[in-house]
Amino acid sequence: MRTELLRPIDGLRLAEECRALLRPGESEAGADGTHHHLPRFFYEIGSWEEAHEIRLAPHFTLAELMLVDCREARLLLSQFPHYVPCTVLLLARFLEDFRREVGAPVFISANGGYRSPAHQIGGAKSIHAWGTAANIYRVGDTFLSDAKSIGRYRAVAASLSPAVFVRPFGREEGQTSDHLHIDLGYASLTPRECSEAG
Amino acid sequence: MLSVDASNGLHEELESLALRNKARAIAVALHDLETGFRFSLRGDRWFHAASTIKVAVLLSVFRAADQGLFRLDDSLHVRNRFFSAADRSPFRVSLDRDATPELHASIGRTAKISSLAHAMICGSSNLAANLLLDFVGVDYARTVLREAQVEGVELRRGVEDHGAHEQGINNEATADGLLSLLSALRGEFLTAESKREVIRILLEQRFNSMIPAGLPAHATVAHKTGEISTACHDIGIVYLPEREPYIAAILTEFDPDTDGRRETVAAISGAIYRSLLSTKPKSNED
Repeated sequence: MRTELLRPIDGLRLAEECRALLRPGESEAGADGTHHHLPRFFYEIGSWEEAHEIRLAPHFTLAELMLVDCREARLLLSQFPHYVPCTVLLLARFLEDFRREVGAPVFISANGGYRSPAHQIGGAKSIHAWGTAANIYRVGDTFLSDAKSIGRYRAVAASLSPAVFVRPFGREEGQTSDHLHIDLGYASLTPRECSEAG
Repeated sequence: MLSVDASNGLHEELESLALRNKARAIAVALHDLETGFRFSLRGDRWFHAASTIKVAVLLSVFRAADQGLFRLDDSLHVRNRFFSAADRSPFRVSLDRDATPELHASIGRTAKISSLAHAMICGSSNLAANLLLDFVGVDYARTVLREAQVEGVELRRGVEDHGAHEQGINNEATADGLLSLLSALRGEFLTAESKREVIRILLEQRFNSMIPAGLPAHATVAHKTGEISTACHDIGIVYLPEREPYIAAILTEFDPDTDGRRETVAAISGAIYRSLLSTKPKSNED
């Protein structure tokens, strides 16, 4: 991992137009009435080349966990630097464990890693805005698009930590039918060099 | 201008072709930009639009790009999961029937909107069509059709939405409507750049066994076919080096097991060509 490329920043110090989209540290109400603070600390990524160079875990680059489509806010989509919550390190670590357990490459879908609170899919209500969730659409040569494959890998992911939530297969709200959704909850990570004062 | 006799002659020839080839119904709409001649045979009869509806999606995608809602080189998540217009239940398109395996290889990743537009038209990709329609939205696409003053094209849902089909929610079109849709593509509705790109995409159509098959080899056609069990259509703009283009919409309906459906459309295309090319230009008659 090229750690020198990971530059932590306090989201509260970002330019106003960026803050308006990332909403660092703001409280957001979930559908179930719970409140959570959106990520405040981010890694600043200078370019896609950098994102590809940054290996968060042996088999996961940062680029895989920040690939979004044009439903992302234009400013965040087409201009660098990009900002990714520091929690993405924890997610990559978990994905590495998952990969080791399943013994095959694990593929994260577009829009399946970090999405900003301004992304049109889910927005700030989605746990993807915390950088702690991943949508896995393929394991090895297996596309996760049926009850059998999703059920199988769901069991593996859930066995790795009680902190992990994995959506069940299904076509109803809160279920998935074309990928495996895993998340680590509303975790936050404050890098050592950053202060939470102010 | 084409004479009444010539128009009647074309009418008779088309009716005769329909009868001979056991078509349940045919409809033809025609606009010759060389002479101004317009022809319509059952132009207001509604048909299942089949894949000709993708031209309406194409128009709305380029209109949205012209309006700055997105850029054509933006990327879109390729995902085979859509929601039925009937009850919002999820459904998938069949990948076996799609002629764009390269797009299927992108599932889970992203594809550029321009590539999706190309796949939707040139390979008639249902996956691309649904991705684009899902992205711009049915309501938006319908608004675009209204703004373009296209009547006779009812866009109600994505393709392969069997749940909606069972409830009678289908995409439907008339020959006159599809003719006005093609006219909108080449008119002033889109920016010049978008218009060029749209026509280029239609010119790269891979399925050429209908309108082009009835034409001489030097003709080029910007077109879109549409086929389901009972419908077999082709709509396009025919370019001939010696004259201005003409626009034709040929819609047919057959019993499901009838052979020679595409050949019938090709024969209709040939009849139109012969009819138009046997007439004098408008300027000679004024």
